[in-house]
Amino acid sequence: MIQVKYFGVIAEAANRDSENIVEENVTLSKILSDLSSRYNLGEYNFQIAVNRKIVSNYSDEKLSNGDEIAFLPPFSGG
Amino acid sequence: MNRYIRQITLPQVGLSGQQKLMESKVLVIGAGGLGCAVLPYLAAAGIGKIGIIDGDKIEESNLHRQVLYSSEQIGLQKAKEASKSISRNNPNVEILVFEEYLTSKNAPQILQEFDLIIDATDNLFVRYVINDTCVELGKPFVYGSIHQFQGQVSVFNYQEGPNYRDIFPQENQSAPNCAEAGVLGTTVGLIGMLQANEAIKIILEIGDVLSGKLLIYDLLSNSQQVFEFGKVPTRKKSDISPSFEMIASEDVFLGKVLLLDVREFGELPEIQLENLLQIPLSILAQKQENLDKEKEYIIFCQSGGRSLKAAQFLSEKGFQKLKLIRGGAKELIQATKNEKSIS
Repeated sequence: MIQVKYFGVIAEAANRDSENIVEENVTLSKILSDLSSRYNLGEYNFQIAVNRKIVSNYSDEKLSNGDEIAFLPPFSGG
Repeated sequence: MNRYIRQITLPQVGLSGQQKLMESKVLVIGAGGLGCAVLPYLAAAGIGKIGIIDGDKIEESNLHRQVLYSSEQIGLQKAKEASKSISRNNPNVEILVFEEYLTSKNAPQILQEFDLIIDATDNLFVRYVINDTCVELGKPFVYGSIHQFQGQVSVFNYQEGPNYRDIFPQENQSAPNCAEAGVLGTTVGLIGMLQANEAIKIILEIGDVLSGKLLIYDLLSNSQQVFEFGKVPTRKKSDISPSFEMIASEDVFLGKVLLLDVREFGELPEIQLENLLQIPLSILAQKQENLDKEKEYIIFCQSGGRSLKAAQFLSEKGFQKLKLIRGGAKELIQATKNEKSIS
């Protein structure tokens, strides 16, 4: 099981703060493209963190059971 | 020193720490919600020199969160009133007031007078100006920003650590929500307080500074999460080429240009210029035949999100000469006033 966390405008677009995804042998890029099309995230700017570390290149990194992904958009209010 | 006795008593501060605070020079960019939380605590702690930059005036709708101001100050300059308020608490602090907005033009000169910069703005474009100027001048800056009940805090460019572009490299991909989103006073208060706290830690050289770490605080769930990030070495400034040119608002007056305001009708500040056309983003698709593809348009909204969307839309429709105004309507109106006073 992989936990996905959403912040800021992404949480609004996905209409949730988090969810669990049950998939085996899945890559980060596959999950991202699935979620991106499911919630229409194409127009948003965000970074991705895996297990609390921001990743700059989404390679074919395989995710393991218990991993956490976070969608981090820039905030602009003040 | 009696004023500071209760903080000097802390072993991590002491007389030498107090000395460091009194010798430090901190610039607070923005005297809005975040700035109103940051400023009084920095002044009370005995920071030697504080700069306040903000070109904005106090509005009634600011008062629920910008707690340095009171009803009778509506219409007055924020930077000046904030300065008065904090010097009432601590007259020993030297305060420099800049009644203007930060732009890429004035940034190097203003920032170079300070050791530490606090980004208390509500504007993504200005954030890139702060970031790039701090990288250029080698100064750390404490970032804070909010979205509804969540806040982000980080310290960029600290001891050659990563900067804002290492997380969010490209300004033209940013999609801020221009429309004024809702906010509680306590949210900006708490995030501003965390910024002031990081600033004081940096000056005192104590604790773990949020360098290379993005803190996200959720005030509804009371959860805090820290995300680590590093420098992205392959990403040079020269690699970042925004697809739309961003121009400073004062450059709008150079030559003959057409301005396109994509805000909704009735949004403030109202801008009336001969060469200005207003077509809200929401009806731009229906009204695009009113625009001429051969002409150059300089697009703006409140702070940049809708103007970018409008530019992307028009670009897809074949418009090629599109530029965006950095800083949006508020900076444009400021530039308009300056222009009128010059001519």
